[in-house]
Amino acid sequence: MDPKAIINSYVGDVIRHLPRRQRNDIALELQSLLQEELAERAASAGRPADAPMTMELLSGFGVPRDAADRYRPAGFTIIRASDAPRFTWIALGGIFLIWAITLPAALLGVTPIVGWDYGADTWWGRLTVWWLGTGIGALWWPGAVFVYALIGALAGRRRESGEIPWKPTPPRAIDRDLISRPVGALYVALGLLGVSVLVALPSLEALAPGLPRPVLDALALDPEFLSGRAPWILLLWAAILAVYVSVLLTGRWSLIALRIRGLLGMLTLGIMLWWVAGGPVFVSAGADTTAKALLIAIGAYAAFDAALALRRGWTRATSATPLKRSADSPTSRS
Amino acid sequence: MVDRGVQLGKLEQDLRKGVLVLAVLSQLRTQQYGYSLRQALAQRGMPIEEGTLYPLLRRLEGQGLLVSQWQTDDGPPRRYYELSAQGVEIQRDLTTAWGSLASVMDRLLEEED
Repeated sequence: MDPKAIINSYVGDVIRHLPRRQRNDIALELQSLLQEELAERAASAGRPADAPMTMELLSGFGVPRDAADRYRPAGFTIIRASDAPRFTWIALGGIFLIWAITLPAALLGVTPIVGWDYGADTWWGRLTVWWLGTGIGALWWPGAVFVYALIGALAGRRRESGEIPWKPTPPRAIDRDLISRPVGALYVALGLLGVSVLVALPSLEALAPGLPRPVLDALALDPEFLSGRAPWILLLWAAILAVYVSVLLTGRWSLIALRIRGLLGMLTLGIMLWWVAGGPVFVSAGADTTAKALLIAIGAYAAFDAALALRRGWTRATSATPLKRSADSPTSRS
Repeated sequence: MVDRGVQLGKLEQDLRKGVLVLAVLSQLRTQQYGYSLRQALAQRGMPIEEGTLYPLLRRLEGQGLLVSQWQTDDGPPRRYYELSAQGVEIQRDLTTAWGSLASVMDRLLEEED
């Protein structure tokens, strides 16, 4: 290939990545400069310029996109290096959370399958429908987080002209294990109220005979569920109540309380999944589907809370160990 | 483990990057076009890759430090650059800053010896 044609092709590829108004001017200059560079190389080598010599020159200049980037002013940062780990956690964590809620719901048949007949009643058919719908669809989340970061970066860029000076924040003691007793008491009271409502549900007809028949029918619990799977939750609730009352009395989350909270959270998830997978909860199909979706959501929240509690417990245990060791060490005793 | 030669090369490149703009401005008190400027810098011991220098000229022009015009006096058309009024001031200030930086660095490095 003719060296001039190679240079023209290269310049054409470079200016493709540049703003239109600069293209002709930069193309003319770049062509002229590259030809002079090539002529100098040819003179140094003592032979006419050829294709390999031209390619060597252009490879030193860089691939067209890189060369075009150098003509542009520096861009701006969308995600700062210090925000990158948090961005990754939020983006990926969101996807996994959506999957953790929707996948069991799809596999357990809680989410109705509409407009898909092939394998609709098999696990792989549900998995396919889930993947083509919510599974891939969950990728909207990192997109939304990115757009949010982009808007933040653009707003930050505008603010840069009148940058607000940094001010130190007054020191404050952060004790994440300390609880607010009034809020804690309210939490326990609301929990007890909720439990009372649920415990009263099987006797709803006797307790509130004035309710319309469709409401009573819709809230009728499945007899097998009531006799088999339901009672176990009472033990769990009792354990949860005991933990929260003890925390309320001491005023803070102890390491053991955090560990028990984690364990109870995992048990809650297990019971919720068992309830959903073990058969109908309500007699009415509509109420059953809704209740199962709620149970999965509760299970997912319980799992999240358990992970949080166990992580806090683990962090406390690991940060306390070196202190304990150093306190026991001969150096500290001397 | 990073190869020592590669590591040194990168650090030296970073060091040169810092003085690149001042080196270019110093040679544009008189009109030059891209190729002749590169030759002038190389002859004075400051070789700069063409892929770095030519876009840099455009960026400095965009910042208002250089002015340019096409000339076709004797030979092919060439774009000639020289310092703008703002560029002259900036070049003077940067030269002062460089002088003090160089003397500080000299003192620091002499202390090491």
